[in-house]
Amino acid sequence: MPFFIVFLVTPIAVAVALYRRNPRRFLDGPSEDAPLRLLGWAVSLLSPQRAEWGQAMLGELGHLDGRLRRMRFALGCAGAALVLPPWGRAAAGLWAMIGLTAASFTLFAGLTAGYRLGVGDWIALAVVGIICVGYLLGASVLLRRPGVALPGLLGGVFATVAGLGMSGFTAVDQVTFIPDPWQQWVRVIAVPAAIGAAGTLWGRDPAAGRHVARLAALSAGLLQLLYATVAVAILGGGGPPDQDGGFTVRGTVSDRLGNNIVDLVVSTLIIAMVGWAGAALAGYLVRRKPAPAVPLATRPVREA
Amino acid sequence: MQRNRPPSPQTVNVLQALAADPARWRYGYDLVSEVNLKSGSLYPILVRLADRGLLETSWEPGVGSRPPRHLYRLTGAGREFVAALSAARRDRGAARPHRRLSEV
Repeated sequence: MPFFIVFLVTPIAVAVALYRRNPRRFLDGPSEDAPLRLLGWAVSLLSPQRAEWGQAMLGELGHLDGRLRRMRFALGCAGAALVLPPWGRAAAGLWAMIGLTAASFTLFAGLTAGYRLGVGDWIALAVVGIICVGYLLGASVLLRRPGVALPGLLGGVFATVAGLGMSGFTAVDQVTFIPDPWQQWVRVIAVPAAIGAAGTLWGRDPAAGRHVARLAALSAGLLQLLYATVAVAILGGGGPPDQDGGFTVRGTVSDRLGNNIVDLVVSTLIIAMVGWAGAALAGYLVRRKPAPAVPLATRPVREA
Repeated sequence: MQRNRPPSPQTVNVLQALAADPARWRYGYDLVSEVNLKSGSLYPILVRLADRGLLETSWEPGVGSRPPRHLYRLTGAGREFVAALSAARRDRGAARPHRRLSEV
């Protein structure tokens, strides 16, 4: 049930958020062309020490005419802005995520080759690779935003540990877990919403909460993929028989790996979406809270 | 920590383009066109040169709806660096024919 709610609400929430960000955009179209929006987004990720270089790129783009020329220039500059150092502590976070992804992918490929799985599984491996590269790109962007890296990565670890705490930590638990309704609500609603709300309170800004929730979603997805792939490697075709029955060892391994891909996408989407809602709600509640009355002067004014 | 790695061929091209008329302020896109580099390669090079004190930057005020524009030229240290680089390349160029002759 919660899955259906999330997938039903996601497109509506995205549409409402886009409309609220810029209502005129829906009526008049974008006020800036694509190269300017792309480069504006990319330079917003630069560290404060490099902010002037971002303005330099934007300034130069402002003097270029011709859609193709502008787009080529903006694409090049955006690529440079995404990798331009200094990265600070964000670099450590990104390397950790690259390590996780490489381990999962290598293990996935090893299982696909070791069990001599079919063409469909190699295609699935390619899909996992594309998804993981996308996750790493998204994470590299989020990690560079000020105040997002640490709470986002902690949120990812929290979501993973909470999920494992409910399913159990063994390999068998990973492939046989069917959550109770209350566990489903905790996994799908409570934990992601708590991450988003905590991100908002940490950064004192709902936008920061959204970024924290997104980074937590990506890191949790990659962490869970590694854990679940290790579980498949441990069990192989063993463990409890699948309820469907009739599977060969290859079929069982293939099925379990396929489930991991679905979990990767679904859990990421859920944490990002519900975390977004939690961040927005926390921001709304914090704004509504009246400021404490502060005395205008600590000492009474004495009349002359 | 400053690295003493020799500059890449692209960096050398940018330095030479800037050194052709060292007093003149240059725009980023002019350098892109002149050196035939992608913008994504040029800006990291400019950033590194500025970090090493070889490049100075300035802003040209915006005109009308056009935004302010960043300008670049070599510093004194930058000119000396290019001169030393050119001298080193000349020396290497002078040494190469002998090596090649000896190899024949």
